Amino acid sequence: MQRFDLIVVGAGPAGLSAAIEAAEKGMRVIVFDENAKPGGQLFKQIHKFFGSKEHRARVRGFVIGQQLLEEADRAGVQVVLDATVIGLYQDKEIVVKIRDEIHHLKGDAILIATGASENMVPFDGWTLPGVMGAGAAQTLMNLHGVLPGKRVLMLGTGNVGLVVSFQLLQCGCEVVALADAAPAIGGYGVHAAKVARCGVPFYLSHTIREAEGTDHVTGVTIAKVDEHFQFIPGTEKHFDVDTICVAVGLSPMSQLLKMAGCSMVDDPKRGGQVPVCDEFGATSIPGIYCAGDVSGIEEASSAMIEGRMAGEAIARYLGYIPEADCKQAEKQLERGLFQLRRGMFAPGRKGTKQETTDEGIRLSQTLLTKGYVADDEIERFPGVTHRVGVHPVIECTQNIPCNPCQDVCPKHCISIGENITSLPTVVLDSTCINCGMCVAGCSGQAIFLIDEDKGDGTAEITVPYEFLPLPSEGDTGTALGRDGQPVCGASVVRVRRSSAFDKTNLLTISVPKEYAMKARFFKRCG
Amino acid sequence: MNQVNDRNRDIGPFVPQPDDDQIICRCEEVTKGEIRRAVHDGMWTITEVRRCLRTGMGLCQGQTCAKLVKRIVAAELHIPQSELEPATSRAPMRPIEMRVFANEDGEVKTDE
Repeated sequence: MQRFDLIVVGAGPAGLSAAIEAAEKGMRVIVFDENAKPGGQLFKQIHKFFGSKEHRARVRGFVIGQQLLEEADRAGVQVVLDATVIGLYQDKEIVVKIRDEIHHLKGDAILIATGASENMVPFDGWTLPGVMGAGAAQTLMNLHGVLPGKRVLMLGTGNVGLVVSFQLLQCGCEVVALADAAPAIGGYGVHAAKVARCGVPFYLSHTIREAEGTDHVTGVTIAKVDEHFQFIPGTEKHFDVDTICVAVGLSPMSQLLKMAGCSMVDDPKRGGQVPVCDEFGATSIPGIYCAGDVSGIEEASSAMIEGRMAGEAIARYLGYIPEADCKQAEKQLERGLFQLRRGMFAPGRKGTKQETTDEGIRLSQTLLTKGYVADDEIERFPGVTHRVGVHPVIECTQNIPCNPCQDVCPKHCISIGENITSLPTVVLDSTCINCGMCVAGCSGQAIFLIDEDKGDGTAEITVPYEFLPLPSEGDTGTALGRDGQPVCGASVVRVRRSSAFDKTNLLTISVPKEYAMKARFFKRCG
Repeated sequence: MNQVNDRNRDIGPFVPQPDDDQIICRCEEVTKGEIRRAVHDGMWTITEVRRCLRTGMGLCQGQTCAKLVKRIVAAELHIPQSELEPATSRAPMRPIEMRVFANEDGEVKTDE
């Protein structure tokens, strides 16, 4: 039987990170993945990631995937694709199917990083073609270049629902609405705001009553639910759609760990059946580890750190590094993970109702129910200030773990401080040079450069723009508010593209100056 | 003894619901009504329901319906979902053809 120091199941962000860490310590590592391509969900993620520099913030997910694969290659990690692990046994033996052959292998340590699968919710017609997981729609669009449909309703307003809705819009689909049975939007407000300013309505406390159609989806009816999630008669709304995307959470794919005999626990906060494990992913069976979504649903940035921590722990377990050497590395990794797990969306705060930010500022309720910060709410946030000349307006109103805006400004106009979940503030007496780096660098597309008074009755607003075709200078059209509704006429005065902006183009529009704090998006005539 | 093991408990009669014909396990085409009926026929654990109806034993191996079946069974028994043991995990984890399952080969080829 073939023997490896470490066998990793799953070549996603967690599995690859652990494999790199272990291989760099001199271990012989093999990674199996049942997919035809490595990277897990990373290659579907075309948006810029949150976090700080050490979490590769501001880098798009698929680029992080490429970086990880290159690192794995340099470290000498073997990645075997189209390889389905079909069994894991207590004495760390695995059975893997590769094409039409079965192989038995033994690992001195095993890391399970199998990730998660999408949840479904049953409603009349949920088995019709056209109803699909939001992740499936993302796979179609971003991996295969196939449009999932033309008119889409999204069920679920967690980060997956919000991010995929925006990507559907970028692909040219019409997103008719986002619905969620919960009373408040579950994902980051900045993700919701990107979708809302394109004019997509949100229906909270609403869920799907019925998908219509005989051999494929032709329409959908949603209705309002009460606090016990029961439909309220007479609140039905119909939409003509050909696609219904479902983004109602993920379940850890932890079956291999259960099969091996690891102690399991049913933890709704971590997404379902998860292994009992310590902070390094060590399960109840010595030598079997887990990392990433399989040990509790989070996101790719924390999965990468969990993977590295598990890699370190495994190297120590097998005696590849002395105890003392890993202490410092572990401390740093733990700090990185701690940072990601802070703020309003921290795993420990899931499901709790929050009224104010950590700074004590009342949260925007419109953001939680309609997806945008209302005009009369925006002024109370510290990133929103007024001054003469061009200056950044940062519409970042929730405590999320993200701070690239602070690093990216060459003039240090924006400050977040030590705690990366603090709201960004505009530094007093700083001089904005209108370079646009903050607008392009904000992963949440929540920063705008505004000259509130050009002296001729107009104001100029620079907005991030990730749609094609890109408008040209001189184009005229309509400025849309944060709610996606038309506020006034607008013309494009400048279009900036640069490799430093990493495909987030900057559109500067001119509007009457009274709309300087209202207009946030541009729609071309026709 | 937890409430699942106490088979003397009265869970009330089977009452038809309007969405009983909704498919829950799409691989094996099992409806909500069939699952609810099975509970009233004495199948009180996920394993029993599975053996009786084949829920979660099709192509996706319960990846889609496991949580849905659990919710329905727990509601029928009037117990929290956490009291229900999930189905046993056993090899092969993914559907596999018998000719492949029997085709044991030697080493995995690596570029070492």
